[in-house]
Amino acid sequence: MGDRPLVEFDHVTKRFGDMAAVEDLNLTIAKGEFLAIMGSSGCGKTTTLRMLAGLEAPSEGEIRLQGARINDLPSWRRDTPMVWQSLALFPFLNVRENVEFSLRMRGIGGAERRRRAADWLDRLQIGELAERNIAHLSGGQRQRVALARSLVTEPEILLLDEPLSALDAHLKVRMQSVLADLQRQLGITFVYVTHSQSEAFSMADRVVIMSRGRIEQIGAPREIYRTPRTRFVAEFLGSSNIFAGTLVDAIGDGAQVDTPSGRLRLATSPEGFATGDAVVIAVPGDRIELTATLPDAGDNAIEATVMGEEFVGATATVYLEAADGTEMRAQKSHADLEKIDIRTGQKLFVGWRPEHAHVLPPA
Amino acid sequence: MSDQANTVPGPSNMPVAVWGRTRRPAKGFSLYGATFSLPLLVWQLLFFVAPLLFLIALSFWSVRNFRLQPDLDVASWLYVYRSGLFWETYLRTLAMAGFAAMLASALAFPCAYAIAFKLAEASRRWAIFLMVIPFFTSYLVRVYSWQVFLSDHGIINAALGSIGLGPYTMLNTLFGTMIGYLTLTFPLVVLLQLFSLMFVDRTLIEAAHNMGAGRLRAVFAVVIPSARVGLVIAALFCFILTFGDFVSPLYLGGGNPPTLSIMITDTTKSGQQWPRAAVIALTMIATLLATAFAAVGYAYRGRGR
Amino acid sequence: MSELNRNPLIDWLLRLYVLASFAFIFAPIAASFVFSLNEDRFPSLPLGGFSTQWYEAVATDPLVWEGLSNTLTIGVIVSLVATALGFGAAYTDYRYRFFGKTVYLALALLPPTIPVIILGLAMLAFLSRVGLSGQSLSVIVAHVVMTAPFAMAIIRLRLSQMDPDLEAAAWNLGASEWAAMRHVILPFARPAILAALFITMAVSFDEFAVAWFVSGLNETLPVRVLGFLQGQVSPRINAIGTFVFLTSMTLVILAQLVLMRRPKEGNPDG
Repeated sequence: MGDRPLVEFDHVTKRFGDMAAVEDLNLTIAKGEFLAIMGSSGCGKTTTLRMLAGLEAPSEGEIRLQGARINDLPSWRRDTPMVWQSLALFPFLNVRENVEFSLRMRGIGGAERRRRAADWLDRLQIGELAERNIAHLSGGQRQRVALARSLVTEPEILLLDEPLSALDAHLKVRMQSVLADLQRQLGITFVYVTHSQSEAFSMADRVVIMSRGRIEQIGAPREIYRTPRTRFVAEFLGSSNIFAGTLVDAIGDGAQVDTPSGRLRLATSPEGFATGDAVVIAVPGDRIELTATLPDAGDNAIEATVMGEEFVGATATVYLEAADGTEMRAQKSHADLEKIDIRTGQKLFVGWRPEHAHVLPPA
Repeated sequence: MSDQANTVPGPSNMPVAVWGRTRRPAKGFSLYGATFSLPLLVWQLLFFVAPLLFLIALSFWSVRNFRLQPDLDVASWLYVYRSGLFWETYLRTLAMAGFAAMLASALAFPCAYAIAFKLAEASRRWAIFLMVIPFFTSYLVRVYSWQVFLSDHGIINAALGSIGLGPYTMLNTLFGTMIGYLTLTFPLVVLLQLFSLMFVDRTLIEAAHNMGAGRLRAVFAVVIPSARVGLVIAALFCFILTFGDFVSPLYLGGGNPPTLSIMITDTTKSGQQWPRAAVIALTMIATLLATAFAAVGYAYRGRGR
Repeated sequence: MSELNRNPLIDWLLRLYVLASFAFIFAPIAASFVFSLNEDRFPSLPLGGFSTQWYEAVATDPLVWEGLSNTLTIGVIVSLVATALGFGAAYTDYRYRFFGKTVYLALALLPPTIPVIILGLAMLAFLSRVGLSGQSLSVIVAHVVMTAPFAMAIIRLRLSQMDPDLEAAAWNLGASEWAAMRHVILPFARPAILAALFITMAVSFDEFAVAWFVSGLNETLPVRVLGFLQGQVSPRINAIGTFVFLTSMTLVILAQLVLMRRPKEGNPDG
């Protein structure tokens, strides 16, 4: 096998009627990695997962599993078990029978089935529920049954389709660590589809961000978060401030961008752009400084009005608006915010160091 | 959350080719899919559609010396359509079924209304259960039983006689036929009305009361329009059932003057005039279809507002 | 509705009306039962003495026994065939989407709206043409046409309660389409399938018009009733009717019990 990727999507397109749900998808998934596919409803993430599971056939292109083309291989001949959003547990079977299902379908004998099912139920700490009816389980317990049912064949890859979306916030966090630990112990590949940024970024080795059937960006969570490569990603993650403008002459090492909010400075001349090009600047919200007076000469600064605040846990997001209507936001800790008194309607300076901004293509 | 085509997880939401699977595997004709879809299709084509189509062919056949012969003869159509008795019977049957539909709807409505709005949950379920029972008793036996009630020396006249009234002739009259029709359709009409009334938003009724609408006005201004589809469908079913029934008009109405169904049995059982019976039957089907389309169209009219 | 708007008098009148409605519905059924145990030949008030003579008369009538055995045989076969066809159609509607589906569903559901007398006429004419008339087989064929839609409706309702991912989940866990049918769809639909068996049997058990038209010599029980009805007033109808009623109700209550039963704990192989 060597270092051949476990899964390859090679120019895969999936159309439903006239509409392309997935367009020209190229993606390789390595053995043992935790990959999250993220995007809003209708971005093609679930279709991608279902193609991998054999529940949809690609219209064009090729999907390879361990180097072999699997386009036309029916779902039941691949070992690509899936954890469903609805969990899809069989209500007429008890916990043990649910877990044994795939072994039974593969013709494995009763004693062996029982042993392996019991083993997996124990690993997921639900051994005592074996003879329980599905209807009598809690949400977290069902989740574990679904995991055991999918893992009992010891597959190379596990597909997860928004498996945690039905859980409450507390349980969600607990199951996240269960999943992450499980993936590390087993060393198998997880492909995890979600629309939740926190799920994707807290568990995955790599995150794929999709929009309208196409991949917008692939990368490690931190990398995507810090340097979104397209305007869509920056806006989708909601972590960055976006300024659209035109690139003007370089000054020394840096460059400047004319925006409706004013002239903004960059630390270096962006590669691949020429003077006069339309560009977009992204500045991560947690790099923003809020000051009552104009900041240091070298920094960028825009005067803005405070529109409101939102508190989520230890951080707060301050929403601001520049004179030209450009919306901005800053993520600050409560400690930071105590230093300056913030009231709605107050005028402040939004500042950042030139090296914290990066340049994206305009669209 | 999931992608466009999969958003609503119902399989009916999946796009497919003719006879293809909605989901994987392969598209097109499959042995598996055909195993489940084709038997009923074949059965209904062979034993439902074919007989009805054959009825059309049969209406053009001729009868010579009491023997049926395949033919392309419009004689039966002409004979039936030129017959004054047929048109008289046709209009009578139409009028009787129409009257029965109105009568059953009017009589059933207070009952359905009371069950829907005046009974507690438990009693309502019991009421529904009791309404279903008649569907599993023999209609014939019930009609026979009504003969015992309605005859000149029957139970009702005996009861009335004991307080010095009657006797009244009820058997072999239009009244008798209507009792039979109600026996056939009343529970069904109540159930259909009930199911549509149960979906009427109660806050609408309260709103009507708050705006000063009286009890009866609330019923006419809010309840009946909201439940219109169900009420019309209930009346339509009553019409369909009574239009084709021959048991009540025969055994409670006396069979004279006849209805179309009685005419059909008479035409076939005497004189081998099957083509004429086919003409009557086809006319009945056409009438039922026209009525059904008109009623459904009326029921849904103006619903898009 | 709020208490303010309740008018006690009208409420009581409405309740009384519901009772009167049930009285109208159950009067013939109750009377049929009462008179089946009444010794008078011409049923009237006041009642004569208690007697089981009509049941004895029915029980010793070989034609009735023949009719009963015909009815039961036909009922069992009809319920099996109609439920199988109805299941197939329900599953097709549940799973597939195809060109002409509306027509398919119309074919599956329309037969009950055609008057039985016309269906009987068309059947008899057609079946005699293809050499099937006058046999129990022809009644079976006709009854399946009439009852399959009921089976389909009951089973379709059950399938719509199923998690739509369940079948795909089975495929995903290594079950072929046939295996998923056997291990997932059928177990899930089982209560509805049993209910459909009982209800189609009850409908077939009670149907007379088509049987009368189509069957010729092999009369079913309801056709015998029709025969009695055409002949003269005979309390034997009451005896048969009571018997038929009790049988049908047993089937319906069985169906009801099966549908309401809670999902079983566990399900051993096979």
